[in-house]
Amino acid sequence: MTDKYLIEPDVGFIKEVIGLGGDTLKKCFQCATCSVACPISPDTKPFPRKEMIAASWGLKDRLVGNLDIWLCHHCGDCTTMCPRGAKPGEVLGAVRSYAIADYAVPKSVGKAVNDPKKLPILMGIPVVIFIVLGLITGLLDFSPSLGEHGIAHSQFFSTWLVDMIFVPLAIWVVVIFALGLKRFIADIHENAVLEGKTEKKELDLFGFIKAIPSILPTILKHDKFSECSENKDRATAHLMVFWSFVGLFIVTNIFFVVLYVFQQHGPYSQLNPVKWLANVAGVALIIGSALMIKNRLAKKDQTSTYKDWYLLGLVFGLGVTGVLTQATRLAGMAGVTYVIYFIHLIFVFNLFAFLPFSKLAHLVYRTVAMAYNEYSGRQ
Amino acid sequence: MTEDKATPANGSILVVGGGISGLTTALEAAEVGYEVFLVEKNPYLGGRVAQLNQYFPKLCPPTCGLEINFRRIKDNPKIKVLTQAEVEKVDGTPGSYDVSVKLSPRYVNENCTCCGDCAEVCETEVSSEFNFGMNSTKGAYLPFEMAFPTRYVISPQIIGTDDAKKCQEACKYDAVELDMEAKSLNLKVGAIVWATGWEPYDAAKIDNLGFGQYPNIITNMMMERLAAPNGPTKGKITRPSDNKEPESVAFVQCAGSRDENYLPYCSYICCMASLKQATYIRERYPDAKVYVFYIDVRAPGQRYEKFYQKIKEDENVFLIKGKVAEVSEDAGTGNITVVAENAVTGEKIKQTVEMAVLATGMEPTTATVKLPADLKYNEDGFIINDFEKGGMFAAGCANKPSDVVSANQNATGMALKAIQTLVRK
Repeated sequence: MTDKYLIEPDVGFIKEVIGLGGDTLKKCFQCATCSVACPISPDTKPFPRKEMIAASWGLKDRLVGNLDIWLCHHCGDCTTMCPRGAKPGEVLGAVRSYAIADYAVPKSVGKAVNDPKKLPILMGIPVVIFIVLGLITGLLDFSPSLGEHGIAHSQFFSTWLVDMIFVPLAIWVVVIFALGLKRFIADIHENAVLEGKTEKKELDLFGFIKAIPSILPTILKHDKFSECSENKDRATAHLMVFWSFVGLFIVTNIFFVVLYVFQQHGPYSQLNPVKWLANVAGVALIIGSALMIKNRLAKKDQTSTYKDWYLLGLVFGLGVTGVLTQATRLAGMAGVTYVIYFIHLIFVFNLFAFLPFSKLAHLVYRTVAMAYNEYSGRQ
Repeated sequence: MTEDKATPANGSILVVGGGISGLTTALEAAEVGYEVFLVEKNPYLGGRVAQLNQYFPKLCPPTCGLEINFRRIKDNPKIKVLTQAEVEKVDGTPGSYDVSVKLSPRYVNENCTCCGDCAEVCETEVSSEFNFGMNSTKGAYLPFEMAFPTRYVISPQIIGTDDAKKCQEACKYDAVELDMEAKSLNLKVGAIVWATGWEPYDAAKIDNLGFGQYPNIITNMMMERLAAPNGPTKGKITRPSDNKEPESVAFVQCAGSRDENYLPYCSYICCMASLKQATYIRERYPDAKVYVFYIDVRAPGQRYEKFYQKIKEDENVFLIKGKVAEVSEDAGTGNITVVAENAVTGEKIKQTVEMAVLATGMEPTTATVKLPADLKYNEDGFIINDFEKGGMFAAGCANKPSDVVSANQNATGMALKAIQTLVRK
């Protein structure tokens, strides 16, 4: 590191961060209360004080590839104690959102995800794909006959059609994340070396990967999240949503294997333990995301922007349409249930296709950042 | 022009508050010939300055300024001093105000010679407000050695007890009057200067700094009293928990100041006060380490800057850029650990010290209790001077946080404003 550091402010970056919910960042006067207030900030190069000045000066390179913005769990303790109302928690949230868009290619998709005007297009994409592909392949039947056990959604929207769309979609998500992570990991390492967060000059990828299992229990139990005092209620809601997704992921995989290996179609009986898991997870997803929405509405000092509502809306919508799909099927309302199922699939598509571009991408970046921090040997 | 000079001043000026600003206003106005009523709610004059050990940056004791002022008051028949007095009501307009003042009984008349016999026989002790409750005095007491008026006070707490009677019997000069009653007084004045001063911000309100929770965390005003020769420890700086001479002291700057959650403004004096108090420690304990945690050191003006530079040269004084946001106590030793991020190095510091001093800010007295007059306040409770309307003015810390020098300059200016009100009438 040279003694002189030429500051090249990126004014456009400052403006974007302000637009993404960091509108208070210029109020910071660098007292460093936040770095102490934060219950999860490390002793070596703590955050978020240094991130606040970097944001204020438009030092984009010091922020976008900075692992600390991901170590932050946005609990809000720093924002509460901030003597200036500069809301460091909100600023880091805005920077994260910028970073997600920066690492996910194509960038135009990232822009669209953060732009409320593009919402109809994003929602429209799956509608077009479903209908066009369904009509071409004939796998979408608008007036299906009843199956042997009554209504079955696969009669309407064939599982072949679902998987024909969602399997490539999963691959697309993995590829985009892989491309983003390649750059991300290199960047956070470079930044950590530059800022003196680690002694390890060369990145040992194997050592880094070995650090991943050690942070999994922390993530699964939300240990870091519950160290926060200000927003304890958020930890519970987040934990519910997190475990619902884990549950639904397991259910989907079992369903997939059973379908293709054992050739058994759904819907499953309500007595089937897999069904129990699905139902519990579905209900938890609705309750968890509803709590999140409620908390957000109640917190007046928390900045909520479109990116927050977009994701919360998707998750809540996903849960509600999922549970309603089943409920209307059991009620024998064939027409209604097919429509709701169709909407449900649109939500699923949006959540997955734009996962690397939306706020939900934190599940990958935060995990990687936590693992890197573990690997770095920082105090 | 020469004739004008001889014109006797007409109308009188009321100065509310007998601290350094009020004293200055009263004297400046009186010494050009105006009649002044100086109203003070305490039984003594001198206000916050009287509680200080030393002024910055010259490090001379407040006796310096106060003694001269008391002398000037004594010599000036134009000033009427009313202690234990509070303004109850103000009616009227610039040039003609009717003011009612309530006088609380002192229970000691002007016969008092300060012999101290009353205190001798009094058994009850009352907490000393002058020393921020760090010790207690007898129920009959002299506020401090150079208190003016130089007269004992009997605490209302012992009125009606045997102790009070004993005091009366002990007095050889018939100075103790237990049947003294509260009185009301009506004054006709042309102008009023409010020099109602400030209160040290209640440090217990700052929930992360442990004041009131850990005994070895004190405030800067308490430090003044500890260092003052007439303080509770006779000038020996020891920590409250075990009276140990501290080998290390941390100063926590902006304790409540420049903080939207407490006092949003800069209190102006606390940086200089802590730098000054660093000299108290260093002078007494040559090996003691002093840590000053700050957001930025505000030492305005050339003289203060020079003082700051001098402190910086001391290798036992460590100035750390970073606000203390967390404190804890070691239950065994009573030591305090303060936590801050050093914003220069980007490392979190956990500094354990034997005592911590919170540089709490100034809150105008009028932040909590509004005055019984038609005045405008800013959102922090300081009085806004409405020169357009005139007649009533705020001087010193009633108007804005300031050091003694600026308070005096401001007070002199307000004396002139008051005089102008009378002349233009």
